[in-house]
Amino acid sequence: MSEAPAGEVDGPATPPISPFRTALARAASVVRPVVRFIGAENLSLVIVLAIEIAIIVSQTKFFLGQQNLLNSLGQNIAVLGVLAVGESLVIIAGALDISVGSIAGIAGVAAALVVTGTGSMQLGLVAGIMAGICAGLVNGSIVAFLRVNPIIATLGTFAAFRGVAFLIAPNGYPVGVGTQPDFTWLGSGRILGGGGFVGIPIILIILIFVAVVGHVLLRYTDFGRSIYALGGNATAARLAGINLTRVRLGMYVFCGITAGLSGVLLAARTTSGSPLNGQGMELQAITAVFLGGAATTGGKGTVVGTVLAVLILGVLSNGMNLLGVQQYWQDVATGMLLVTGVAIAQFRALRSERARTRIASRG
Amino acid sequence: MSPPASTQPPATPVPSPSLGLEIRGVSKAFPNVQALSDVSLEARPGEILAFLGENGAGKSTLLKVINGDYQPDIGTLTLDGQPLRFANPLDAHRAGIRVIYQEPEIIPGVDVAENICVGELPGRGGFVDRRLLEARVRADLDRYGFSAALPMGLMGDMLSPAQRQLVEIMRAIKSNVRVLALDEPTSSLTDDEVQRLFALVRRLRDEGVAIIYVSHRIREILQLADRVAILRDGRLIAVRPAADLTEAEIVRLMVGRDLTAMFQRRRAATDRVVLRAEHIASNWHHDVSFYVSAGEVVGFAGLVGAGRTELAKVVFGELPRDSGSVFVDGRLVSIRRPSDAVTEGIGYAPEDRKREGLILMRSVLENASLAVLQRLSRFHFIQRRMERRLAGEYIERLRVRTPSLEQEVGKLSGGNQQKVVLARWLAAKPKVLILDEPTRGIDVGAKAEIYHLIDDLANQGLGVMFISSDLPEILGLSDRIYVMQNGRISGELPGPGATEEQVLALAMADHLSRADPVPESTTAEEGLAG
Repeated sequence: MSEAPAGEVDGPATPPISPFRTALARAASVVRPVVRFIGAENLSLVIVLAIEIAIIVSQTKFFLGQQNLLNSLGQNIAVLGVLAVGESLVIIAGALDISVGSIAGIAGVAAALVVTGTGSMQLGLVAGIMAGICAGLVNGSIVAFLRVNPIIATLGTFAAFRGVAFLIAPNGYPVGVGTQPDFTWLGSGRILGGGGFVGIPIILIILIFVAVVGHVLLRYTDFGRSIYALGGNATAARLAGINLTRVRLGMYVFCGITAGLSGVLLAARTTSGSPLNGQGMELQAITAVFLGGAATTGGKGTVVGTVLAVLILGVLSNGMNLLGVQQYWQDVATGMLLVTGVAIAQFRALRSERARTRIASRG
Repeated sequence: MSPPASTQPPATPVPSPSLGLEIRGVSKAFPNVQALSDVSLEARPGEILAFLGENGAGKSTLLKVINGDYQPDIGTLTLDGQPLRFANPLDAHRAGIRVIYQEPEIIPGVDVAENICVGELPGRGGFVDRRLLEARVRADLDRYGFSAALPMGLMGDMLSPAQRQLVEIMRAIKSNVRVLALDEPTSSLTDDEVQRLFALVRRLRDEGVAIIYVSHRIREILQLADRVAILRDGRLIAVRPAADLTEAEIVRLMVGRDLTAMFQRRRAATDRVVLRAEHIASNWHHDVSFYVSAGEVVGFAGLVGAGRTELAKVVFGELPRDSGSVFVDGRLVSIRRPSDAVTEGIGYAPEDRKREGLILMRSVLENASLAVLQRLSRFHFIQRRMERRLAGEYIERLRVRTPSLEQEVGKLSGGNQQKVVLARWLAAKPKVLILDEPTRGIDVGAKAEIYHLIDDLANQGLGVMFISSDLPEILGLSDRIYVMQNGRISGELPGPGATEEQVLALAMADHLSRADPVPESTTAEEGLAG
């Protein structure tokens, strides 16, 4: 960047400021904060997303339509996105929560029951989130107090919570909420529409809100710092005086809240609090978190990366739908994307690791 | 004292040039670093050659060149006059050169016999011929007197560090090793094991193997080596017969300056007891009582397994305590977990900084502020400017050499990593600081800085519980010394005036009463190794 333009090699010691340079400087001053926000480690995700969009746009003109972007894409990614933000915290802490899809199932049924009983959207929302908090407390207690490995613990609650979802649903049947427009508004409502603009989906606004909360929590609070420390080296974190029990409980509760919220959104969008809701979404959420750059060992990862990965997965599926690609090929593509993405990250980590050992090995 | 040897060629006469491993004019550069410059040296058959140098002096790089991990940029290696060119360690093995690193590769699910013969198992029709295998391995083990120390049927994951090294050495012997290099072989061995290893190394030397021995432990080297090569900043500073060198001379050559004033100890301990432990009993201890006053450095000496680290961890709440009480500033405190101890004003810098001290993948800043997060936060939001100021202040005060506060801690050198752990606890402003082997594995220069720091801290009224296996530093720094032995405190000595013999006698009280007295040759450092 400090390189002088070719014509000025023999110029005075302080070359006149060329318009090219000011433009460059201006561009840099705009780009730098953006890069800092996204994080250098997430730049490759942005590039992947850009390439993906470029390919799809070159194949179909429907992709860039606001109906598609805001409706199909925006609404589709929101439920998964909310789930993945919570999962990010747990994975960064070096743990895992496999039960989030089942929690979403419970929360959807609970919210639907309360909404049909009281007619209040707010109470339904609260019920769903409370269900998530309770489930998160159960997960957190099993991991923090009983010291069960997180995979085993949440594999257990993955099954148990799904059972609970069926038990609280009347006779195990879905609870329809189609007659509750206030509630379904959460899933398909829009605001700021009019004048040719279809409006921003509520569900997308909720995703953005949850992502911001997750990002701030992780990056700016002592809780977030403790999560990185726990994931990076649990023993060192404990010996530095961090109360790991509290951190573990906290992160599972947060993950439960996001799972509960995404269950509510799913019920609102599908107009049905079905005990089957959210099945398989735990794996999609975990996929997104790892694709977003989280380390399997913990200690690394960002909410921004997770959201970018959710976007990449959403755009992929949306674009293939527009192009009429069979669902099975979409699954293959998703799987390949995850494996390729993580393989590239591994390769880069290995390279920097080599550079590190080279320096450390002197002497 | 002779003038600095850096300008002289090695003084020892070169024997018939065709024998042994010859390293001629080897240089190796990495980005930003000249790891080796123009090193020439030979390892002769029937001789133990030691490499000494601070961290970063080039010892490991030289070993890796010998082992074929690295190819030299310029320079040559010859073995018995034959030029060597290794593409990888396997080539070096084939040529009869073996480097044994601190953590040998052992296959966990396979027993000792198969581990030793890995890669060349005697087979019959696709099956391993166990009888032939065991006969071969037993013959070797018997020949070197290790059939008791290394049971053939033991599985790989059950082996102690010493046994792992033996397996690796037996592998080397099996493949008719000509040059055997050992990298810090004693760092995790007990005293007995060290002596046994030395016997083996001497025996291999007498059988005509050229031995290269790399260690930080100067006394050990003086005891074992025939010749000593001293490296500094990638250059060979001197090669001398071990008999011509003293410890002080070696340190001077390694560091390039005199370190007589390493220990200061100019302070006055107060009467205010900041930490008192009474009748501590645990899985590792029987009725241990001790105290640390404000402004006092209290040394904890003892053999491996005496329970010093465990005592620190029991007091800190990391390990469970059966009975006994802990007082901070005269007040009985309930410490159930480390976070309670930190709240009460106790800090603990653990022995194994990589595994227990640092979050290696996170930044210097995050590591330095880890113990004060709550204090730095308002409504759980970290006040980032305050955090940077606080961390920056201690990083600077401890002279941590790091490009920025954002640098990953794992990328710093050992001494600087240790300083980051210390910076964390200084920032926390504890009343008592427990330092567990704070100078383990760091170079002499960084050691001196840490000694100064401990001195400063005590001067400012901190109580320091100082655990170390390095007797000179315990004697040089402590105001009082507790000697531990087998889960008990076997004695208490005043720091000034205490001698190594006194400490050793207390540390080995049990051994002395049972067996013969401390042999003359057992120097302090080995006695308290590990």
